[in-house]
Amino acid sequence: MLVQALQALATGLLTGSVYALLGAGFSLIWGVAHVINIAHPALAVGAAYAVYALATRGVDPLASLATVVPLFFLLGVGFHEGVIRPAARRAGDLVLVSMVLTFGLAAALENALAAIWGPGPRVVNVAYTGQAIRLGVLALPVPHVAGAGLAAVTITALYLFLHRTFPGKAVRAVWQNRDGAALCAINLRQVTSLTYGLAVASAGVAGVALALIYSFSPATHLTWLVFVFLVVIVGGVGSLVGAVVAGMVVGAVTNLATLVIPFAWAPFLLFASLGILLLWRPTGLFRR
Amino acid sequence: MGAMLRVESVSKRFGGLVVLRSVSFRVDEGAIVGLIGPNGSGKTTMFNVITGFHRPDAGEVEFTGRPLVGLAPFEIARAGIARTFQLVRPFAGLTTTDNVAAAVLYGRGVRHVHEARAEARRWLRYVGLEDAIDTPVGTLTLAGKKRLELARALATGPRLLLLDEVFAGLNPAESEGAVALVRRIRDELRITVLLVEHVMRVVMGLCDHVVVLGAGQVIAQGPPAAIQADPQVRRIYLGEGYGAAR
Amino acid sequence: MSRAAAAGLVAVLVVLPWAGAGEYPLALLYSTFMYATLAVAWNIIGGFAGYLSFGHAAFFGLGGYATGFLLVHAGLSPFLTAPVGGVVAAVFAALAGYPCLRLRGPYFAVVTMILGLAVRAVVLNLPWAGAAEGLWMTLPPWEPLAARRAFYYAMLGIALVTALAGRAVRLGKMGVGLEAIREDEDAAQSIGVPAVRLKMSALILSAGLTGLAGGIYAYDRSYIHPDFMFDLHLSVLAVLMALLGGRQSWAGPILGAVVVRLVDELLTVRVGTEAARIIFGLGLALVIVLLPDGLLPHLMRLRRRAPRPPAAVPAAVVRP
Repeated sequence: MLVQALQALATGLLTGSVYALLGAGFSLIWGVAHVINIAHPALAVGAAYAVYALATRGVDPLASLATVVPLFFLLGVGFHEGVIRPAARRAGDLVLVSMVLTFGLAAALENALAAIWGPGPRVVNVAYTGQAIRLGVLALPVPHVAGAGLAAVTITALYLFLHRTFPGKAVRAVWQNRDGAALCAINLRQVTSLTYGLAVASAGVAGVALALIYSFSPATHLTWLVFVFLVVIVGGVGSLVGAVVAGMVVGAVTNLATLVIPFAWAPFLLFASLGILLLWRPTGLFRR
Repeated sequence: MGAMLRVESVSKRFGGLVVLRSVSFRVDEGAIVGLIGPNGSGKTTMFNVITGFHRPDAGEVEFTGRPLVGLAPFEIARAGIARTFQLVRPFAGLTTTDNVAAAVLYGRGVRHVHEARAEARRWLRYVGLEDAIDTPVGTLTLAGKKRLELARALATGPRLLLLDEVFAGLNPAESEGAVALVRRIRDELRITVLLVEHVMRVVMGLCDHVVVLGAGQVIAQGPPAAIQADPQVRRIYLGEGYGAAR
Repeated sequence: MSRAAAAGLVAVLVVLPWAGAGEYPLALLYSTFMYATLAVAWNIIGGFAGYLSFGHAAFFGLGGYATGFLLVHAGLSPFLTAPVGGVVAAVFAALAGYPCLRLRGPYFAVVTMILGLAVRAVVLNLPWAGAAEGLWMTLPPWEPLAARRAFYYAMLGIALVTALAGRAVRLGKMGVGLEAIREDEDAAQSIGVPAVRLKMSALILSAGLTGLAGGIYAYDRSYIHPDFMFDLHLSVLAVLMALLGGRQSWAGPILGAVVVRLVDELLTVRVGTEAARIIFGLGLALVIVLLPDGLLPHLMRLRRRAPRPPAAVPAAVVRP
């Protein structure tokens, strides 16, 4: 029993890193641009399908990163320039408008994916699927480790970027105080575009990790949306570190919970816990 | 004439910051009382405590003998306390008439919308907005919006009116008009007024009684002349070195 | 639209089935009535109060499952028990809505979306509600045209009730209060608006009307399953229709519903369901950006050539 729990904990921490990555990207956009990007997990699912498409042609998921990352970065920048900026000019309440807007886009994307690949689940099989790394009594599935490693590398890269580079610090400045940053001659438009590019690119990476670990279908983005909100609410909208910790916690807890609770009830419990969290602490459990 | 409002040893902190420290004062019926003090001395927090938006950590607030602490803001409004806001908060998507009609319907308890609108139009005339009846709020100047907020507050049928920096941002002509209006409100409508203000000229000219807050505590209270001469008051406004009386 | 014109339109709709309208137009109108109900009902909490619910499918589906349950286990016709569906949805809104309404803006939107998804997840696991197999609600052996007529009238009735309710709220005291809440909830409270009470009333009314529609729809569908009775797409559609038509009026959502239904029909016939959904998703995105006030205010502005004198604004009878 203890071994099972440890196993669940370990796997949970691995998957939790992917949750953390998704949450971090989502948080970035919310914090810097005041946009709630409901389509964030949908973009990750889109990336997962791209990985699948490439995998059926023999391309390893990790190799497909070379295409996914730049493509999604450009997509993010394009989205900001082409969609968000015009919307922000007209909208009174950008937060709500962005929710509805990205909601619509997520729905469109979901149905587009369903139109191309059908509504059923897809799985990406790689050379190392089914293999596991032995760590004492634990067996860590290699795809999980790969996905978690990917997420960890990306989060670290993000962290270093935000804290060690000048553009990154500009992003943090805007994150903390938009008007103040503008007064310091920070180009808000450029910073926001950059942030979007990074965030969507991170969603792409999360999608690659997701493809390694889970099966997915067009509707998967909804479940992932709940995870994203859990991470962001627990970790706070302003904190990268918070997202990481929250992601780990969410991953660990959900995995441990599946030991005790029948699988069928898992989605409901997830929703219930998110609902309760939102009601208890709508602004997040972590202070920045 | 008894005390309309009694604030007794009210304390309030936000996290580590103590904003109000055992503040006590009273507002007599029919008076115009000024609440002054440097920025950050707790004046708006005091208003928020009185109107139920913040719950004090200690102390009592009594309105015509009735305890207010623990009541919801809408209950306090219905009990007869109305307020305006430091940064005007009109209902931007509604017309001027509907802004005030909402107050008539819910503050005074009138049932029918057309009746409330008719009354609302009367209030708009009373505050001098006869040229802006049934118009969108966006067309009003700042002074107009302040008058609108005043009309909205009056329309709830209050016995006590809390004005939060109503005179800020008004030019001298607008200011004079506002002073006259406040006097009319007290004299004609028999509404007691408690106002937070920075414009000293107005405070000294308009108020019967002044309460001075400094760092969350009552530094001094009394008639305007006494306050002006008080060395403590000088010190908190002008800094050390100015405390000595002339 | 004047009172006479509205009455005339309703009269035409009532007479239509007897004037020889066939199954297809009756079915099309039936679904339009349903969409209109959804949109007007949603708007009571979403448009007037400004609390954008992304989970209204929960209320719709609960209404359907209530009538389904009563049909399967008690043999009662949904034509009789639809009000029970409405009540079930309303009670659920009262219980689940109270904590949700404590959140504002995006948090409310998010939590209602989650609520909708959660209800679906729960019902999928409830054996006495059919779980993942769904519930069969077999119709009596009616003639197809007769059945169409029955559903047509049922949904027309529901739509009329909803429209009247929406109008009563908008033109009455409650509407002023909800709008004040939407504009500035704290300022509203400071003038005596009992915000919690009003929001709850609005949500309960909105949910009840939505559940009513769901109760009848389930019977027409004859087979219900959580996947489409609690479909997120439906929640999104409610938002879209109200936003498209015009959130600030009671009739705007009806216009939105008509447009959406027609576009949906054209698209599905030409392009297929999935493509239609893609277009709807994009349409929602476009509408919220380009027409934040909706269609109706634009149309009203076109009709008013001469500016009216500001003081003379009589409470026009069918003023949106």
